[in-house]
Amino acid sequence: MIEIKNLTKQFQNETAITYSDITFESGKSYMLLGASGCGKSTLLNIIAGILSPTSGSVIIDGESMSQKSQKEKDKYRIKNIGYIFQDFKLINEMSVMDNINILKLEGVNTQSAPEVLEKLGILDKKNSKIKHLSGGQKQRVAIARAIVKMPDIILADEPTGNLNFAIGEEVIKALVEVSSGKTLIAVTHDERLGKYFDNIIDMNEMTSGIVDIIPSKEADL
Amino acid sequence: MIRFALKNMAIKKVQIVLIVLSIVLSAGIAVLAFNVSNQVSDGISQNAKYYGVIIGPAGSETQLAMNSMYFSDEPLGTIPYSLVNELSMDGTNVKEAVPFAMADSYNGASIVGTSSTYLDGKELKTGEMLDDLGVFEAVVGSRVAKQNGLKIGDTLYTSHSATSAETHKKGIKVVGILAETHSSYDNVVFTQVRTLWEIHEHEEGENEEEDEHSHEKTVCAILIKAKNESSAMTLIEKYNGKVIEGEEKPISLQAISPMSAVRDVLNDADNTKYIVYVLCAVILVMNIMIISIITLLNMYHSSKEISLMRLIGISMKKINLLYLIQNSIIGILSILLAFVLSRICLALMNDYVSSMGVVLNIGRLYPLEILILVGVFLISVLPTAIWTFAMSHKDSISD
Repeated sequence: MIEIKNLTKQFQNETAITYSDITFESGKSYMLLGASGCGKSTLLNIIAGILSPTSGSVIIDGESMSQKSQKEKDKYRIKNIGYIFQDFKLINEMSVMDNINILKLEGVNTQSAPEVLEKLGILDKKNSKIKHLSGGQKQRVAIARAIVKMPDIILADEPTGNLNFAIGEEVIKALVEVSSGKTLIAVTHDERLGKYFDNIIDMNEMTSGIVDIIPSKEADL
Repeated sequence: MIRFALKNMAIKKVQIVLIVLSIVLSAGIAVLAFNVSNQVSDGISQNAKYYGVIIGPAGSETQLAMNSMYFSDEPLGTIPYSLVNELSMDGTNVKEAVPFAMADSYNGASIVGTSSTYLDGKELKTGEMLDDLGVFEAVVGSRVAKQNGLKIGDTLYTSHSATSAETHKKGIKVVGILAETHSSYDNVVFTQVRTLWEIHEHEEGENEEEDEHSHEKTVCAILIKAKNESSAMTLIEKYNGKVIEGEEKPISLQAISPMSAVRDVLNDADNTKYIVYVLCAVILVMNIMIISIITLLNMYHSSKEISLMRLIGISMKKINLLYLIQNSIIGILSILLAFVLSRICLALMNDYVSSMGVVLNIGRLYPLEILILVGVFLISVLPTAIWTFAMSHKDSISD
C-alpha cells in the first residue's frame, strides 16, 4: 500500500504542486490521467525516490520514503520498484538481454528474463541491439527490465508517450497482464487506455485539492 | 561486473582503441628509450672493463678504443709487434698482451689478426678456436658465415679493401664459426696475426723483386690485461707519448685507458640520453593531457549512461567500480602492449646497436621502466576515479 500524505513539491522555477492525500492499494492498477505539467511524472518520481518532496511524505507499506537517504531510496527502488520510462532509458548499443542483465550489477536475479520476454512477445529479439528495435519493442524491453526483478510496485511514466495508439494499446495490455497481482501506477494522457486499469485518477482534480478515484468500469471512457 | 564492463567497452571501441594507442606509443617509446640508452651505456662500459690499457699509434683516443674493441672506424696506423713481446716480458704489470691488427676484407667483412685470447668468452657454433701456433686459419663471425655460406674446411680469399675485386692468392681455411653474439663480432673474420703478415709478404715477394729484406712485423694496437689498476697506470705513464724507432720513421705511441676513452664517448652519449629523456617526458606529459581529455570527454558522454543506470537503481558505488574496472582493463592492456612493443623494438634495434659491440638483452628490465609503466597506468585510471568520485558525492540522481 502506498500512502501520499500532505505532499508538495516546489521546483527551482518556483512552480509548486500540492497533492491531495491518496492511497494506492496493493495489487491494484491505477491510471493517472491529466494534462501536461499537472505533476503526474513528478508524483511517480517522488514515489520511486528519484525526486525528494518539499514537504509531506510517501509511505510504502508503513515505511516513510521521505526519511530515507538517497542511497537507501536507490536500494529500495532496485529491490521493490519497477520503473518504466517514457523514453525507455535503454542502452541503444547493447542487446535486449544486456539491458536486462545490467540489473545484475545490483545482485538482481534475471533468470526469469526469457519467460518475461516471451510473455511480452519479444523473446526472438533477446540478442538484438536496442537500436534495431521499433518503439513498441523498446517499450516492451523497458517493461521486461522493470518486471524481471519481480517488484511489488510498478511505476510507468507515459509508457505509450512515444507510440501510436494501436501499438500503445498493445503495450498497455501487455504491461497490465505481466503486472497482474502487483501495484501498477501508470501515467498517461490517453484516456482511451483507461479500460485496462482497475482505477483512474484525474490528476487535475488531485492537484486542485479534490481527489476522486474512479473504478474504470464506472468511468465514462 | 567484468563481463558487463567488457560489453560496455565494446560499445566505445573507437575511443578505447585511441586511448590504448596513445598510451602504448608514449609509454612504449619512453620505456624503449630508457632501456636502450642504459643497456648501451652498460654494454660499452662492460667491454671496456675487460682491458686495462690499449697501446697504439698516437692519434684519437676514441678511434683507437673503438677500432680495437668494436672494429668500428679505421686503425690509426701501425706499431711494431716487438712491443707485444716487450710487454709480455713485463711480468710486474702485464697479465697478457693481445695483438690486434686489422687489414684486408672478405666480401665486406673486416679481417682481424689477433691471438686466441681476444676471443676469450666467445662461444663457437662449430669447429675450433684459433691455434696461436698455427697460420692461415680463420674463425668466422656468425653473420659472415651465414651470408657467405661458409662451413668448416672452406677456404676464403681476402682482398685489400671492401671495394677491391682482386683477392690475395693465398687462402685462409675456416676452422671455426662463432655462435651468434648480436654484436660486431658477428661481422668479422678472425685469424692469427701471422696470417696477415704472411699473406702480404707472399704477395710482395712475388711482385716486388727489389725489396728483398723482410718487413718489420706490425700490429694496429696492443690490448693489455694489466695485473691491477696501478699496473695499468704505470703502463700508461710509460708508453703514452713514447717515441720508438719505426721501419722508416720514428713512431709516436699513445697508451690509453679504454674505460676513460669510452667514458668520453658515453659523456657525449649522455647528453643525447638527456635529450631523449626530456623528449620522453614531453611525450608523457602530452599523453597525460590527451588521456585526461579523452577520458573526461568519454565520461562526459557517459554521464547520460550513468544517470540512466542510476535511474534504474544502480548505486553510484557499483557505477564507480564499473568505470574503474573498465579503465583498469584499458590501463593494464595498454602497458602490457607498450612493454611488448618496447621489447619488439629492442629486438629489431639489436642489429644496429651490435655495431657498437653491445648486445641488447630483451629480458633486461630496469626498475625505472616499471615505474614509468605503473605511472602511465595510474594516469589512465586517475581521471575516471576523480570523475566518478565527484559524481558519487551528488546525492540527488535527477540533477
